[in-house]
Amino acid sequence: MELLRALGVLAEPPTNEHVRIANVLGLPAPPEPSAYHDLFLFQTYPFASVYLGAEGMMGGEAGDRVAGFWRALHMTPPTEPDHLCALLGLYVSLAEREAAEEDEASRALVANARGALLHEHVASWVFPFLSKVRELGGAFYGGWSTMLEEAILAEIRSSGSPRNLPLHLREAPGLPDPRSDGGNAFLNGLLAPVRSGMIVTRGDLAGAARRLDLGLRMGERAYILKAFFSQDAGKVLEWLVDTAEDWTERHEQQGADLGEISAFWEGRARATADLAKALLEDRSGWDDSPGDSATPAGERASGSHEGSGVS
Amino acid sequence: MDLNRLNARVSAAREDVEGRGETFYPGPSRVHLAAFPPKERWSDWVELDSRAWPKRVEKRYMLVPTTCFNCESGCGLLAYVDKETLQVRKLEGNPEHPGSRGRNCAKGPATLTQISDPDRILYPLKRVGGRGEGRWERVGWDEVLDDIAGRIRKAMDEDRKNEIMYHVGRSGEDGYTSRMLASWGVDGHNSHTNICSSGARAGYHFWMGIDRPSPDHANADLILLVSSHLEAGHYFNPHAQRIMEGKERGAKLVVVDTRMSNTSTHADHWLAPYPGSEAAIFLAIANYLIQNRLYDEAFVRRWWNWQEFMEAVHGDSEPTFARFQDELAELYSGYTFEYAEVESGIDASTLREVAELVAAAGTRLATHNWRSAGSGNLGGWQVARALFLLNCLMGAVATKGGTYPSAWNKFVPKPIHTPSRHPDQWNDLLWPSEYPLALMEMSFLLPHLMKERGGYVDVYFTRVYNPVWTNPDGFSWMEMLRDEEKIGLHVAMTPTWSETAYFADYVLPMGHATERHDLMSYETHDAQWIAFRQPVLRTARERLGEVIHDTREVNPGEVWEENEFWLELTWRIDPDGSRGLRGFFESKANPGEKLTMDEYYGYMFEHSVPGLPEVAEAEGLTPLEYMRRYGAFEIETNVGAVYERHVPDDELEDIDVDEMGRVYTRAPKPDTPNVVELPLLDGDDDGRRRVGVRIDGEILEGFPTPSGRLEFWSRTLDDWGWPELALPTYIKSHIHPGSLDSDQMVLISTFRVPVQIHTRSANAKWLDEIAHTNPLWLHTHDAERIGVRTGDLVRVETEIGHFVVKAWVTEGIRSGVVACSHHMGRWKLDDTGQRQAMATVGIDHKDSNWLLTRKRGVAPFASSDPDSMRIWWTDVGVHQNLTHPVHPDPISGQHCWHQAVRVRRAEPGDRYGDVAVSTERSYAVYLDWLEKTRSAVTHSPDGTRRPYWMMRPVRPERQAYDLPGAADPVGS
Repeated sequence: MELLRALGVLAEPPTNEHVRIANVLGLPAPPEPSAYHDLFLFQTYPFASVYLGAEGMMGGEAGDRVAGFWRALHMTPPTEPDHLCALLGLYVSLAEREAAEEDEASRALVANARGALLHEHVASWVFPFLSKVRELGGAFYGGWSTMLEEAILAEIRSSGSPRNLPLHLREAPGLPDPRSDGGNAFLNGLLAPVRSGMIVTRGDLAGAARRLDLGLRMGERAYILKAFFSQDAGKVLEWLVDTAEDWTERHEQQGADLGEISAFWEGRARATADLAKALLEDRSGWDDSPGDSATPAGERASGSHEGSGVS
Repeated sequence: MDLNRLNARVSAAREDVEGRGETFYPGPSRVHLAAFPPKERWSDWVELDSRAWPKRVEKRYMLVPTTCFNCESGCGLLAYVDKETLQVRKLEGNPEHPGSRGRNCAKGPATLTQISDPDRILYPLKRVGGRGEGRWERVGWDEVLDDIAGRIRKAMDEDRKNEIMYHVGRSGEDGYTSRMLASWGVDGHNSHTNICSSGARAGYHFWMGIDRPSPDHANADLILLVSSHLEAGHYFNPHAQRIMEGKERGAKLVVVDTRMSNTSTHADHWLAPYPGSEAAIFLAIANYLIQNRLYDEAFVRRWWNWQEFMEAVHGDSEPTFARFQDELAELYSGYTFEYAEVESGIDASTLREVAELVAAAGTRLATHNWRSAGSGNLGGWQVARALFLLNCLMGAVATKGGTYPSAWNKFVPKPIHTPSRHPDQWNDLLWPSEYPLALMEMSFLLPHLMKERGGYVDVYFTRVYNPVWTNPDGFSWMEMLRDEEKIGLHVAMTPTWSETAYFADYVLPMGHATERHDLMSYETHDAQWIAFRQPVLRTARERLGEVIHDTREVNPGEVWEENEFWLELTWRIDPDGSRGLRGFFESKANPGEKLTMDEYYGYMFEHSVPGLPEVAEAEGLTPLEYMRRYGAFEIETNVGAVYERHVPDDELEDIDVDEMGRVYTRAPKPDTPNVVELPLLDGDDDGRRRVGVRIDGEILEGFPTPSGRLEFWSRTLDDWGWPELALPTYIKSHIHPGSLDSDQMVLISTFRVPVQIHTRSANAKWLDEIAHTNPLWLHTHDAERIGVRTGDLVRVETEIGHFVVKAWVTEGIRSGVVACSHHMGRWKLDDTGQRQAMATVGIDHKDSNWLLTRKRGVAPFASSDPDSMRIWWTDVGVHQNLTHPVHPDPISGQHCWHQAVRVRRAEPGDRYGDVAVSTERSYAVYLDWLEKTRSAVTHSPDGTRRPYWMMRPVRPERQAYDLPGAADPVGS
């Protein structure tokens, strides 16, 4: 169990202690802080709410739900209750409390809480996140994400199959259809993993710009996407189909251990691919293109989201 | 990937690193869901200077541990000493402290503002002119020491030792001064305890010999508090965090408190009873357990002194447990839920629900009463006795999740010297014969006893104590302190100005938490730990290679620590050692030289703290270096049920077992490094000492009570004139509805606000800004009846006078009860004092009629601290305690704080803060309550002044216990 705590710590900015922990775990030496910052502050964010919230940002209802879990345990939620390190730390502390509990009924209560934490607030989002980290993170964070994935999977296997789809996922709205919901809602939905089933980072958008030979407008991700659409919506939709299908495959590969959770993510990614295909075929029904200059200013992706650091 | 192997590796690595005293995980971080600097970096901790923002300027600190000196808890602090300026820049929690575990309440970090308070006393002052005139001159420590030492020496030489008195408020080191006074041969230890916790502690003392509860909240299934212990009270910070842990585990919380508090808001059941009815509630719960046989019969049979009760009270020479159970059921059958409902005003159905929770908790029942109802009511000691009856019924005594006797969760290391003698005289001013069972000294009666009996104290030390303000009937204290025929020399030892210091001859500046040495240990949970308070700048400078001889070299101005003061004073009283005093403070390493603090603590840590030398050595440190580095050490955890331990065979030599099962031995008592105070139990007539008690054929350690068992029935109470109160029972309080006139209400005056602590925190600007006034809590119905709204002035009339205060209309208090917080209403007579929290008042009196009027509140002022110009409040509350007459409980000696009052709209001419009192009437009230006593002179069973087994801070020699003229005193 100490392994999970140590791996959680490695999601924090690197310090001298990280070198020692990495060495103990047989991982390469942690990179410079700039690599950490690029990965966890600009590309992927180690917060549950980013992946589980309908807005795809830190906090919100998903963040409140995680904080509420802490409160249900009669604990004051820390400043960032849904940070991966805090969640793993809480998980390990519950396991330790469970082991120390002599009373059988109390022990069962703690075990239930631990299982709920794992299922509802960790397993529900962490695998797509770790998959993306592995793709972007280099030797250290790549090795870290593989090790953490195995450790969490081992916990899931030992705790048995969950009864229900996690509440975060049950409550998550689907990806808006621009034909009925408007272009901006569609763009923002694409960037909310729980709605689109995929994680689209700044790096992905920069890569797309190169691949599609589009201009990369500097700004938040929704702004960049909007600019893509204004240049060549067809190319962008094709790229979206490819990306969503790639995520569909990734989720499929997790299916064996995660059951309904993987199916959920896979379904969301497939729906995104299907929608993008439909839009390619039916541009006529989509007058309010996200790149359309006629899009009302008030519907533009809000710059204030950028302030959260996760849009 | 082998996850198990990785798990094992990382666990082993962590154990290895932490075993070296280093931190494995980075900090601050959220790894442990808390943030502390790793301890291996305490010598050189780097933070960014917030004042330099947005530039990134590094500040380097040395982190030096100490313990808080504000309340009794002694929580751990880490002082951040700026390595550039060698000043303390901030104080945070010490994660190495086993009690507080790095957490603090607001009062700990606020110590910083006390250190830098622009109004603090920095130099010894001597009065000029008449006592109380408020004129002072700065003097040197040598002059002070020589003057005081000379007076004490003269008193000793003239056999007037009883004219030396030391009166302590906030205690410092466990036993330091009481050992010193014993070594002086002076029965002059006076404490504040009888205005504090004596009530509840007497209740515990009669049950288990040990006088305080140590609840294991973290492991409890039911936590039953007679307090607001999540926010205030002794050990509240260490306890509160463990209460929350218990709640995390699923424990239920029941809070008994008439007033709505931040604690009651966290409760599963908040019981707001009529004040004084608490014992009736607990007895009703006990009755439910008894009638339904829901109690732990095996525990009761083994550990209660039921046989002694049946033999002594029922003349049953061969009692059976079954007959006792029948008797028990009969005894408490009248305490029905319906009876308790009538007394308390709480629905019988609610009480039943709580009783069911108690029954379900079994041995995981943690209960606690420190002050609260135990201190408010006549007979408050029976509140604790009735509460602990529930533990005793459930067998929840020293069990996991139960309540422990405090002494088993406390460790007082044996010091380098222990007193070689004890006082040979009994001090009647402190221990008058009318109160033979008082838990502690009858401190708050001093002015009345002096007046009635013509007492005189030649040298009177008030030490971090403010009786003029804190005690009831402060005007009588002023009368006494002003009278030089009663007080020859008054020495006020205090870190900050107090109302009492104005009436001193010397005001001596004492250190705050970061400026003094003390060693303490408290019963915060089932463990034994010590925590070290140290002058942090001394430690910091010593780490930098300086040699410091005396804390005055590093403290602000000439602020001193008491330990060195007493040492120096003792040497000056007995400069050549001929009086036998000096040896108590002599070096062992260098005979004939003064003991140093390094030797004093170094010896103690080396010889008297099991495990510390080994742990220190593993880090390459001496025990003293270890304590100076980490500030705390945990000696033992999970102490468990000491009473169930078998007495070792080597302690059983030529034993004798009496008819009660008490076991006596000729084997000498083994030397113990833990000198925590315990009752002194007599041996047998053949010279054997008590070693244990035989239970079901086994010789076990038992309880330190006369019977060796839990004393359901107290022979002591029975023998000393109180047979009707020898069992846990319900005493109707002096403010019982039947004792009040129809227009009277009850005033609860004891509750604390979470950020203040008596009169010691008035010099903490952060705390003053948060809490600085004390309106009268008045229920909506009462406000309507009286015709006042929030903010209106009301006059509160007690037996001896009145005070004028603002009303706060609320439904957070029972109708018929009003409440006014402790702490507030500080005053000064002129500009000398704390300008941020003391109003300036005028005091007039004619004969015994006194009047205090407020001239002005506080206001911004220019000082070395720019914040003093930012003071935005003017109101600092009203000094209500002046209007309280003394109410000494005839058994525990506790002042019973609750007041019967009349509350009405202020009269024309009444002004906010007015206090009017007749000390003649207060003296009459003293005499009324004296009538309630049963004196040792008429009730002592053996011609002594006090049961010898009962605890006493300074214990005179045995013959001093004899009453004068007793025909055949036991002690002689």
